[in-house]
Amino acid sequence: MRRVMVVDTSRCVGCEACVLACKNENRVPSGKYRDWVVQESRGEFPNLSLEIRSERCNHCSDAHCVSNCPTGSSWYRYDGTVQIERSKCTGCKACIASCPYGARYVNPQEGFVDKCTLCVHRLDRGQPTACQEVCPTSAIVVGDADDPRSEVSVMLRRGTAHVVSPEAATKPNVFYVR
Amino acid sequence: MQPHIEFDSTRLPSLEHGHEFWGWEIPIYLFLGGLVAGLMIAVSVVILRYGKDRVTDAMRLGLIGAPVLLSAGMGALFLDLTLKLHVFRFYMTLRPSAPMSLGSWVLMLVYPVQLLLVLALPWSLLAPRLDAIPQLARVRALAERYMRHLAWAGLAGGVALGVYTGVLLSTTVATPLWSSATLGFLFLASGGSTGVAALMMAERDHESQVLLARADIGLIVIEMFVMGAWIVGLATQGPLHREALAVILTGPYAPAFLGMVVFGGLVVPLTLEALALRGRAMHSRAVPALVLAGGLILRFVIVYAGQEVHFFKA
Repeated sequence: MRRVMVVDTSRCVGCEACVLACKNENRVPSGKYRDWVVQESRGEFPNLSLEIRSERCNHCSDAHCVSNCPTGSSWYRYDGTVQIERSKCTGCKACIASCPYGARYVNPQEGFVDKCTLCVHRLDRGQPTACQEVCPTSAIVVGDADDPRSEVSVMLRRGTAHVVSPEAATKPNVFYVR
Repeated sequence: MQPHIEFDSTRLPSLEHGHEFWGWEIPIYLFLGGLVAGLMIAVSVVILRYGKDRVTDAMRLGLIGAPVLLSAGMGALFLDLTLKLHVFRFYMTLRPSAPMSLGSWVLMLVYPVQLLLVLALPWSLLAPRLDAIPQLARVRALAERYMRHLAWAGLAGGVALGVYTGVLLSTTVATPLWSSATLGFLFLASGGSTGVAALMMAERDHESQVLLARADIGLIVIEMFVMGAWIVGLATQGPLHREALAVILTGPYAPAFLGMVVFGGLVVPLTLEALALRGRAMHSRAVPALVLAGGLILRFVIVYAGQEVHFFKA
């Protein structure tokens, strides 16, 4: 099983409901984000293009945060998602220094490093992730990329899938399609 | 021509306050780790090349200083942890892919070698006190018998410690300024130079001063070459790496890097040491003090300037 997220950027309107839902679901502290919306505009007027992306931890298959964690606190779950074992975290911040996406932060109240978990606590109950549930345009889809009939596999077969900063060579599992 | 790109993001306001995750504790630790590595390498090389009789009292004092300074560095590292009570987790596992895990075990392996070297070559003021402890006599005799083995272990431990301080940064990937394999060798050369400089501060024997000054000149020249390779390597990697490099070459950290590290910490001491060897200047403690200050500022500049530019933009 390889759990991935696919975000349809042609549907995303940048409403940031996903950000609020995540903050509410995961009690994300003020000033910290487990997901965020990026608006990237390219070109010169009038030849402009705009891509709106709901970004988060990419749950990379070759995650430097996992390989550089000195205590094994960052680990791969059976579904390929990257998780944090809080009891093993020392707060050394090697994982923060290793993430090319800036997806990790230190929880200011409790000291452990935190990030998007892909809401596995909800997925395990058969519920969608908090961001997916509230997305008003159904731009966010989570599923098993190893299942050729899954919605994410169908979306990825469109041929427009790309990832953020592919040059980081971390094999991200959050894809963006148009 | 590069297309014009603009970013806006939910977290941009918080990122504008900086994405700094490591503070003063890390450069202090990297400096002290490199300094201790340099001390161990320098004294080990003297034992292996010239024999134990050439190890002066200042070098013996350096051997005592090594575990003390390393402990101070580890103390700084400990202060940086946000979950300090979980520090034991470092020693519950060994993860070869994680430099910090390897480093924490290297530190543990280095301590016994340092202590055995202190016992084998005690400082003049410490020797009578050691003689008063009969339980230590057998350990001292053993350490003295295996002096060359200990020196090889000290050399290996020192190199591992010195390289590790740079590798710790270079494998973190997320920071363009640190993403260079040469950083390990830069920190090793700088650590070696600061270790020798620390010995020069305490050295009174003229012949040993000359020996240490020669070693320091060689290490400073190597450090300058490696630093050049690091800069050229980053400059040729792409626009993001050039942006990261600009922070230390033309940006806010340029005065500290060019003025205090390159000029004050490398060029000036190199010139003064070369003049002293030719008899045209006095051997002065100001010279090694400049080397030590340069080594400390180098680590502060690299750690802080590195956190100014990231792969992500928004």
